[in-house]
Amino acid sequence: MDQSVAIQETLADGEYCIIAVQGMLCEGDSRQSRLLGLVRYRLEHGGQEHALFLYTHRRMAITGDDVSLDRIVPVSRDFTLEEVSPDGELYILGSDVTVQLDTAELSLMFQLPFGSHTRMFLQEVARACPGFDPVTPDPEFRWLSRYRCTQLQSQLPTPHGWNSAPGTWPGCARIGGGRYPSRNGLWGLEEARSGAGSVLFGGGAVDQTGLRLAEVARGGGPLWGRSGRRGRRDEEVEEAGREMSAAAGSRERDSAGNSHFDDLRPNGKGLLVDQSSWGQDKPEDLLPRQNKSKSEITDMVRSSTITVSDKAHILSMQKFGLRDTLVKSELVQKEEDYTYIQNFRFFVGTYNVNGQSPKECLRPWLRHSVEAPDVYCVGFQELDLSKEAFFFQDTPKEEEWFKAVSDCLHPGAKYAKIKLIRLVGIMLLLYVKEEHAAYISEVEAESVGTGIMGRMNKGGVAIRFRFHNTSICVVNSHLAAHTEECERRNQDYKDICSRMQFCQVDPGLPPLTISKHDVILWLGDLNYRIEELDVEKVKKLIEEKAFQTLYAYDQLKTQVAAKAVFEGFTEGELTFQPTYKYDTGSDDWDTSEKCRAPAWCDRILWKGKNITQLSYQSHMALKTSDHKPVSSVFDIGVKVRNEELYRKTLEEIVRSLDKMENANIPSVSLSKREFCFQNVKYMQLQVESFTIHNGQVPCRFEFINKPDEQSYCKQWLNANPSRGFLLPDSTIEIELELFVNKSTATKLNSNEDKIEDILVLHLDRGKDYFLSVSGNYLPSCFGSPIHTLCYMKEPILDLPLETVRELTLRPLWTEDDGSQLENPMEIPKELWMMVDYLYRNAVQQEDLFQQPGLRSEFEHVRDCLDTGMIDTLSASNHSVAEALLLFLESLPEPVICYSAYHNCLECSGNYTASKQVISTLPTFHKNVFNYLMAFLQELLKNSAKNHLDENILASIFGSLLLRNPAGHQKLEMVEKKKAQEFIHQFLCNSP
Amino acid sequence: MYPSASVDSGPSRFIYIHLYPLHQIILKQISDIISSHRATMATAPYNYSYIFKYIIIGDMGVGKSCLLHQFTEKKFMADCPHTIGVEFGTRIIEVSGQKIKLQIWDTAGQERFRAVTRSYYRGAAGALMVYDITRRSTYNHLSSWLTDARNLTNPNTVIILIGNKADLEAQRDVTYEEAKQFAEENGLLFLEASAKTGENVEDAFLEAAKKIYQNIQDGSLDLNAAESGVQHKPSAPQGGRLTSEPQPQREGCGC
Ligand SMILES: Nc1nc2c(ncn2[C@@H]2O[C@H](COP(=O)(O)OP(=O)(O)OP(=O)(O)O)[C@@H](O)[C@H]2O)c(=O)[nH]1
Ligand SMILES: [Mg+2]
Repeated sequence: MDQSVAIQETLADGEYCIIAVQGMLCEGDSRQSRLLGLVRYRLEHGGQEHALFLYTHRRMAITGDDVSLDRIVPVSRDFTLEEVSPDGELYILGSDVTVQLDTAELSLMFQLPFGSHTRMFLQEVARACPGFDPVTPDPEFRWLSRYRCTQLQSQLPTPHGWNSAPGTWPGCARIGGGRYPSRNGLWGLEEARSGAGSVLFGGGAVDQTGLRLAEVARGGGPLWGRSGRRGRRDEEVEEAGREMSAAAGSRERDSAGNSHFDDLRPNGKGLLVDQSSWGQDKPEDLLPRQNKSKSEITDMVRSSTITVSDKAHILSMQKFGLRDTLVKSELVQKEEDYTYIQNFRFFVGTYNVNGQSPKECLRPWLRHSVEAPDVYCVGFQELDLSKEAFFFQDTPKEEEWFKAVSDCLHPGAKYAKIKLIRLVGIMLLLYVKEEHAAYISEVEAESVGTGIMGRMNKGGVAIRFRFHNTSICVVNSHLAAHTEECERRNQDYKDICSRMQFCQVDPGLPPLTISKHDVILWLGDLNYRIEELDVEKVKKLIEEKAFQTLYAYDQLKTQVAAKAVFEGFTEGELTFQPTYKYDTGSDDWDTSEKCRAPAWCDRILWKGKNITQLSYQSHMALKTSDHKPVSSVFDIGVKVRNEELYRKTLEEIVRSLDKMENANIPSVSLSKREFCFQNVKYMQLQVESFTIHNGQVPCRFEFINKPDEQSYCKQWLNANPSRGFLLPDSTIEIELELFVNKSTATKLNSNEDKIEDILVLHLDRGKDYFLSVSGNYLPSCFGSPIHTLCYMKEPILDLPLETVRELTLRPLWTEDDGSQLENPMEIPKELWMMVDYLYRNAVQQEDLFQQPGLRSEFEHVRDCLDTGMIDTLSASNHSVAEALLLFLESLPEPVICYSAYHNCLECSGNYTASKQVISTLPTFHKNVFNYLMAFLQELLKNSAKNHLDENILASIFGSLLLRNPAGHQKLEMVEKKKAQEFIHQFLCNSP
Repeated sequence: MYPSASVDSGPSRFIYIHLYPLHQIILKQISDIISSHRATMATAPYNYSYIFKYIIIGDMGVGKSCLLHQFTEKKFMADCPHTIGVEFGTRIIEVSGQKIKLQIWDTAGQERFRAVTRSYYRGAAGALMVYDITRRSTYNHLSSWLTDARNLTNPNTVIILIGNKADLEAQRDVTYEEAKQFAEENGLLFLEASAKTGENVEDAFLEAAKKIYQNIQDGSLDLNAAESGVQHKPSAPQGGRLTSEPQPQREGCGC
């Protein structure tokens, strides 16, 4: 379930919840569930800002109504969210991830569920952190103002207060405390609300499932090791045991079925990672982040490992970009299935025009082939040598040369200009035949200046585009001049390669570089010279047309051979004389003072498959410049799509992703789904266990509440553990524990409740499984009302269930009619049996009612009472005494009825008035009260032996006979005192 | 001034880092995306712009799970165990050129789970109500299923009645005509289908989707309503409830 949808509903226009994760906010020992939503706001003038919105929420937020905003943490420059290892705790596979959120103002700790969703969340947050480039302005977070508490508005500093000023970073000095108020300040919306845990996450139930991490880790066993369960069981037994113990005043506790395990909680740091695995593939161009904590985030991001199933997980998450990415990548993989190679003719030309304007027709250069090329790539260097061009990036020459080229393209076809790019004097033009224009896409042009400051008149420009399914990059460069600057030229080439970056259509993808193209055409004045030969020798060889010999001295040749430059590129054979340097307007070699040696400065190289060079030549006819233009014609095999096959492939891919998504919905198998608990008895634990075996997808499971229910199962049931995490192919044992206590017994007797329940086992992002629980409960006098028992003349287990049910439902005050008809007993026979037993055996027993009984003996006493086999009763006095106390405690209506409770407290101290109140009780209750008082007085007569006194008995029985109608609330000391006093009177005075 | 080919090109670089572990473990392809130019394409026609939630309801054994399986996997499961719980399936379909992701919840048909399965109706955009044409009792129970569907979903939820096991003509116990009439009286779409042969299975899911889409188009289904059962995705150009995803586009330079 993507809870960001719920958050989105609460946001304003322009705010977008990128991703949400639910975690536990840890403050001291408290754990409160929070939904963390990363919210992006798109600014009008471009750019974006982020903030982390923290919500309290219902169990699983589905709509905006389920969440309420608790706090906002702007993602400012000083914002960090890092994974931390909680002190002293072991790393546990699959356990929660603890993260620390820090800003200048506040510091919060969260536990996030282990898994790739959390990873994604952390990654998104890392992406959202503003860069550290001082040029980009600080986020101002004006959009958050609508969330601000209005009364505090006036205290707000200028928006710049959000971040440290660019100049002062990373000192962070300026943001000191209090600029934007933390916890209780501006962003703490109704702080009180967060404390109102009532709607949070099913209350304590979530945290009940304990596991003792340390032990599990030591044992190396399954995630939820036995030790965890045993811990629970011990506690359960202990619970029950405590229930047995008669220590007075300690009885107002929760029912045993709802034990607390606050001290046990999952924690620790979970990383399923091999930290070392990253290094091998580290991308070179990653800049070291300037801030340590940020780099930790990236490290963390790198270290996360995503398993196969996460692919499907990613799919199922509402991250549409990723699905696209997968489809695209599959399409690339299968490209051969739906494309074929078709040749297209490319004309590539380069011309260093030495700052001249076009003076002659360019036809000899551009139009020398018979066939009209499909694509023209025409490059110039030294278009304009003026200072203006250099400083203002503006020159009339651009238009002049563009026109000159356009006029002289092949007349056999109509051409469309695709792109023109110029960097000072370096210009590149791209034309295609009109009919191909529709197949050109993703055109991007970039330039890179090289040399000192990157702003010299050397460098390169490039146009990248997609032609049908083939990506092509054309580069025109003008490298450093002078024979001795060979190294410089190599460096220029490298700089161009590394710094030329084209942005992609999908902004999420990293920029493209030159090398990442199917076809690269590189032209330009590369400026490599002829070395080691004197000018005359060079000229002589040229005259002899011994280009082969001369080529051996060409710097480009030797540098390429040494792999110092243009690695992987090919150049055609040089069958034309050097194109530099001529006296302008002639074919004569340079006669100036410098008398430069001729050189093949102007070159064309290529890289890629299916490329055939048809010609490579210079054009002596053009005399405008001190260079001659060079041209090359290629046939380039381009991948062309067969639309029908393409559609088919695409559909297959989409379909297979659907399938994969379905196959990767988490799925488990359960060893058992029907659970029958036979003959359940009062306060007798029954356990049924089953195993969950996970499939191939790691998943979280949890028993979830059915609608309108407070808990995932009935009160008498407990699943242990009730939630957890499963690795692929792992197994976990779950125990269903059934325990009927005083708060559930009465309704089971009356059949208003049955041993019947359906549990919903929910897999995060996956299926739900229903588990059926059935069984039968053996009614017991424990939990039965006094008057009901008075009407039961036979043991409760000998009565038909229907009779038990009727009698249990009989209202308290109908005794009058009943008494005539059915002649009930004066007090419950079970009470008589226990008191009689004690009277006969225990009046002199030391510490009676103060020593705990034995659990097994209690069960025996219960069975004797319920079956009426009182003769067989043999148990220690303490056990019977404890059973008596438990009996009184389990009465749904206490001996002194709830309605009389307050009256009793009021008149405690006034014996006459107290007796008056007792006389108003229903007859059976009155009888029981008097009977018990008589018995207690009998005990006091033996106080020399049993060491009992009025105070002890009053304190034990006060809280049993008088119970606050408000239920299990902790009693005020005064109230307890008064209840004791009330009983005390009856012990001291004869009736 | 031309851009000084800044080395730090901002957030996009992060993607590289994010996706990289993926590459290592599962997707060689992903790395291709990142390291190769070839992956980018001008358009993204395979994205979906809506998610519709469907529920499948009806008596046990009528073939709900088989219909889902046939729809998602194009296979028939002859010995399909009873569903004891709720299962899911998804598939992307196309309606009027729009890609729509169906998220289908298949519920247990057994009566004893009825109280629990009711909680899954909420927020469904479409409900497939299935009976078995060879078992009259499953048809007779439709009114009770319909009551649940009407009470527990929103008024715009599209309900389609499906008479399954149409391949078992010889054992037919419910005529097409009477079911058709029942559907008309109650304003339901209706089809007879067979999860075994696949006949009309695709159509059943598609017809409902078309109707839902039509409701969106003519405005009768309010996407903003919490329980419409439809999520409009940010990537859709029409723009819905959610604000559009950003398309930061760097200005072309030097041209
Ligand atoms: N001949 C035939 N048999 C079918 C068809 N659809 C389902 N069945 C069979 O009917 C039985 C029940 O199908 P299921 O899909 O499990 O039924 P269900 O509605 O999901 O049942 P529950 O999960 O219990 O609610 C299976 O044995 C299927 O093989 C069909 O179109 N034709
Ligand atoms: Mg099923």
